[in-house]
Amino acid sequence: MIVFVLLSLLAIAGALGTVLWKNALYSALSLVGTLLTLACIFVTLEAQFLASVQVIVYAGAIMVLFLFVIMLLNAQYPDQAEDPLPLVAPVAIAGGIVLAGALAYMAFLYKAPKVLETAAKALQGGTPGPVGEVLFTKFLLPFEAVSLLLIIAVVGAVALVKREPEGKQARETLEERATHTPEEVVA
Amino acid sequence: MVETPYYIALAGILFSIGAVGFLMRRSVIQMFLCVELMLNSANLVLVAFARAWGNLEAQTAVFIILTLAAAEVAIGLGIIVAIFRKRVSTNVDELSSLKG
Repeated sequence: MIVFVLLSLLAIAGALGTVLWKNALYSALSLVGTLLTLACIFVTLEAQFLASVQVIVYAGAIMVLFLFVIMLLNAQYPDQAEDPLPLVAPVAIAGGIVLAGALAYMAFLYKAPKVLETAAKALQGGTPGPVGEVLFTKFLLPFEAVSLLLIIAVVGAVALVKREPEGKQARETLEERATHTPEEVVA
Repeated sequence: MVETPYYIALAGILFSIGAVGFLMRRSVIQMFLCVELMLNSANLVLVAFARAWGNLEAQTAVFIILTLAAAEVAIGLGIIVAIFRKRVSTNVDELSSLKG
């Protein structure tokens, strides 16, 4: 229980950091902290292989991609422009507190169908062997579908960021953009 | 052994924080980070239920979701980079040319 409380406090602190930091770079690093803590929680939930995959894929690959894009676009600095809808933030916070309360309340209505100790034993620690067995028998179709999805995503990402061939470039340079009035940019 | 409802409550709190962040932040990248946070809280619920039922299928579903998240991030960040090239901004308030 002490371990769980400690880990959940760390996870919530990381999540709050993600939301509250104005600098996107700090935000992303806080999220890395939350993801690593979640990996530790996965270990306590008998999901050892999943925990290592969480660290490698999520905290490793995906977050590196995020940090790379933030630094590439130089987007880490907060926007100084005035918030056009100042009411959104307090309403969102109030709604979020209500949502968190409702979800936490509903969680405690749940009654587990089995004794936890025997159920946890059936997972065999969530090691790669048993997990792979389920993945390649019962989940074979989703597995193949996801491989197709990954190919589409890779091709799509390349197609999205590909530069137009010379001559028919719709893109404007920074100097051209600076000469536009704000109305033109919106139009 | 910690009972399942505590894990589900933690996932609910993380999800709510992510949802509030998505509504509050004005930078596309930070909104995207909040989406990742919500996705992870859903994963936590699945893993908690896997242990409650003694069934590995939910853990396997989390693998599928992880792969899905990787594909989603690749496409999403591609879109952000493509928009940034055209508009030089990551602020959602300035990216309103599709509004009705």
